[in-house]
Amino acid sequence: MLRIRLHGRGGQGIKTASQILGTAAHLAGYQAQDFPLYGAERRGAPIAAYARFSKNIVLERGPIAQPDIVLIGDETLLSDPMAAVTQGTDASTLIFINSRHTSHDLKQHYQLESLPVQLDISELCQKYIQKPMILSTALAAVGARLMGRIDLHHLLQAIREELGQGRLGPEKIAANLKLAEEVFQKAPSFDLEFSESDAGFSASRLVTLERRPPVDSAPLIFATGNMALRKTGNWRTHRPVINYEECNGCAICYARCPEGDIRMDTNDKPVIDYDHCKGCLICATECPKHAIEILREVESWN
Amino acid sequence: MKATISDSLEESKYKKVTDLNPEEEIAPGSALCAGCGGLEGMRLAMKVLGENTLTCNAAGCFTLISVYPFTPLKGSWLYTTMSGPVPAAQGVRDALDIRMQKHGLPKAEDLQVIVVAGDGSTNDMGLSPTSAAIHRNLDFIYFCYDNEAYGNTGFQHSGASPLGSYTMTSPNTPEHPAGSEQTKKDLFGIWMAHNPPYLATVSPREPIDLSNKFKKAKGMKGPRLFICLSPCPTGWGFDPKDTHLIAKLAVDTGIFPIKEFVDGKVIHTKRPRKRLPVEKYLERQKRFQHLFAPKRRDDIIAQIQSNVDAYWEQYDE
Repeated sequence: MLRIRLHGRGGQGIKTASQILGTAAHLAGYQAQDFPLYGAERRGAPIAAYARFSKNIVLERGPIAQPDIVLIGDETLLSDPMAAVTQGTDASTLIFINSRHTSHDLKQHYQLESLPVQLDISELCQKYIQKPMILSTALAAVGARLMGRIDLHHLLQAIREELGQGRLGPEKIAANLKLAEEVFQKAPSFDLEFSESDAGFSASRLVTLERRPPVDSAPLIFATGNMALRKTGNWRTHRPVINYEECNGCAICYARCPEGDIRMDTNDKPVIDYDHCKGCLICATECPKHAIEILREVESWN
Repeated sequence: MKATISDSLEESKYKKVTDLNPEEEIAPGSALCAGCGGLEGMRLAMKVLGENTLTCNAAGCFTLISVYPFTPLKGSWLYTTMSGPVPAAQGVRDALDIRMQKHGLPKAEDLQVIVVAGDGSTNDMGLSPTSAAIHRNLDFIYFCYDNEAYGNTGFQHSGASPLGSYTMTSPNTPEHPAGSEQTKKDLFGIWMAHNPPYLATVSPREPIDLSNKFKKAKGMKGPRLFICLSPCPTGWGFDPKDTHLIAKLAVDTGIFPIKEFVDGKVIHTKRPRKRLPVEKYLERQKRFQHLFAPKRRDDIIAQIQSNVDAYWEQYDE
C-alpha cells in the first residue's frame, strides 16, 4: 500500500487534489481511497486530505499517521505546529513543498530530516489558471508524478472527470489540463515501494460513557471574550502591511475589518493584530489611499 | 414630546466611522470564514448594543462564533436549535423579569435579549415562533444575518435564496437553467405585517446607517427586528477581499434596499440615486455565473431586473 497525505488550507482545493489523485490511481489499475479531514473551521483554516492506493483491496481506514508521501500545498503550514504537517514522517518519507525556496533552504529553515522535493506550483497555477493558491490540479499532478505509477493520460482523464462535476467551463478545464501537463513534466519521479501489508491495526477498546446530569455534560463556558486565545493569524497566506507614510488615519480599515483586528492607536493610526488577522485583505482593498500593501507570508523569511 | 425625543437622538447620531465605539465587543479568533460579511454586521451591531446582552444564537454559520471552550462575547450566549432562538429569548426574558420582580435581581443587572440567526432559521424553520413572539410583543432584538442560503452545511437553498442563484440544492441544469426558480421571500414584508415597533435592513458596508439604527432600537422596547445582508465569499463565490464591494453593489443596484419601518412608515435610509443594472452585482459572483456563460441568459437577468424595478416603483416619489 502507498499512503499519501495532503496539507493545505480550506479553499485551496486540497480535497479536490486528493479526489483527482484517487481517480487517477483507480484509472491506472489501483484500488484507491481518498478523503479529506477538517474540523468546523472554514476557508483559510488548515486541512488535510488522505489517499491510499494498493493492488489489493484497501481495508485500512482513518487518517494516515505514517505517510509515504506528504504533499504540502501551503508552505505557511510548516511554521504552524497545530497543522502537524511533518507528523509521522522520517528520513524515508517523500515530502513535497510548494515553495519558491530551494530544497536546501527549505530543509535548513524548517529543520527537516531529509531533502524535500520543491517546485513553485503557485507560479504555474498563476500562469495557467490565474489563481496562485487554487492548487487542486497542480498538487494532484505532483502526487501522481512522485508516485511514478500513474501515466499522464490517466491523470488528465481524472482531472476531466473530477473538475467536470463542478461548475468549471470547458476553457477552464482545458487550462487545468495544460497546467497538469507542465507540472507533471517538471516534477521528479520516484519508483516508491508499495508495502503490501496493512499497518498492524487492531480494534480499539470500546469506551462506555458514564451517565451524568446535563449540568455536567452541557458545554458551559464561564469565561468572557476568551476567544482571543485562539490565534487565527496562521490562516493567512498574505499579509496586509500598512504604509504609515501614506496612511492618513481615516479609520476606514478599522471600520471594515470583520474580525475587529484593527484598532486605532493613540496617534489615530491603525494597527493590525497579526495574531488574529485571517488575511481576508478587505483592509487593503478598502483603503482609500491605497496605503496597505499585500505581502505573501512565506516571503517573510527571505 | 415626540419632537424632543427625536431631537436628542439627532444630537447623538453617529456621523463618521471614528464615532463608532472603539471597544470591540466580539473578540477575534472565531472560526468563521475570512471576510465574513455577517460577522462584520454583527460586530458593528454589538459595538452599539454593548456587553449587557444575552445572545440566543440559532444553529447556523454563527455556530462557529463560539467554539467550546471559547466564546468571543463579553455577554452571555445561549446556543439553540435552528427553530429555537426566539422561544429561548422568551424564556430568558421571562426569567430575567421574574428574577427582577420577585427575587431581588437589581434593575442594573437586566440584560438586553438578542436573537442572532441566519436566513435559513429566520425564513424557514424559526419563522412561526418569531411570528408568535412579535405578536406577543416580546421585548427583544432580532439580528438576522442573511447570506441567502444554508451556509453552514454547504450552501443549500433557503427561503432567502434569490432568483437565478446556484445553490447545492438548486443547481442550474438544462431543465432548470436559472438555478433557483423561486424569488427571495419578502421577510421585511412578512415582519412588517406584524406591525413591530422597529424593523430595519442594514448592510455591513454602511456602518454609520447600521449603528444609528441599532442605537435607535436600543432605546425602544418590544420586538426590534434587523435583516443584515451578509455577503458570503465562500457560498456566493467571490474573493474575501471583495465583501464590501459586493455589499455596496447590492445597495447601488437596488437589489438590497436599505430601509426602516417605524411609526407605520417605510423609509429608505440609503436610497440609490441612480440604480446600477443588476448584472453589475450578479456578474461578480460564482453563484450567478451560469447567467453569463456559456450562454448569456438575458431572459433571467431581465426578470431579476424587472423584479427590482417593480419594487422601487412602489416607492417612486
